[in-house]
Amino acid sequence: MAFQPLPHAFPFRFADGVVERTGPAEGRVRASLTANAEAMRDTGFPTAVLAELVAQSALLLQGGDAALGRKGFLAGISDFSVQRLPVAGDVLTIDVSIAGRLGDAVKFDGIVRDAEGRAVARGSVTVKQGSA
Amino acid sequence: MSDDLKKRVKELIVRQLKLEMDPATIADDAPLFGDAEGGLGLDSIDALELVLGVEKEFGIKVQDEEVGVTAFASVNALCQFVRQKAA
Repeated sequence: MAFQPLPHAFPFRFADGVVERTGPAEGRVRASLTANAEAMRDTGFPTAVLAELVAQSALLLQGGDAALGRKGFLAGISDFSVQRLPVAGDVLTIDVSIAGRLGDAVKFDGIVRDAEGRAVARGSVTVKQGSA
Repeated sequence: MSDDLKKRVKELIVRQLKLEMDPATIADDAPLFGDAEGGLGLDSIDALELVLGVEKEFGIKVQDEEVGVTAFASVNALCQFVRQKAA
């Protein structure tokens, strides 16, 4: 799967592309973890990176608008739990749905699963457009 | 205005926003947003969380334009908003 548009670049690019779109900013995204990703060094795949992965997935499902993405930022993480930290070689799928929207802030629910369909992490992220 | 509703709204604010405070200490007319003295100092991200909580708790739908200086200005305002929506 070729990378789809996002403003993020290696090593801070985690989501590869949309697998399935089930609604506006809702669907399934894929992420393949490589051993040479900066985030994999020493500490494995940090929890915060998993939250960022959900946020990047949400942005991809919104259309992957790079210009829009540059104006937005991860503004909140809530009820995020990690069942296991992914390792190099994992192919993850991220299911994202909109929990709510108010003005320029959008809250997404996300579930990260491994290739066997087991939940790796789940939780919510809030993305805000514009400045803090 | 019902004290039960005020209590429920205050508990909702504390629970939904994970505030470390006694709900009873929130003044009925204290501003929820902004930096005004005596207010809670909530921001736009808190507003989204609060809207989601109000929608779930009271089974009502909140429109963007309703979350401004009126409906979510204080506990009193929020109670009045909930009562109007639920009527």
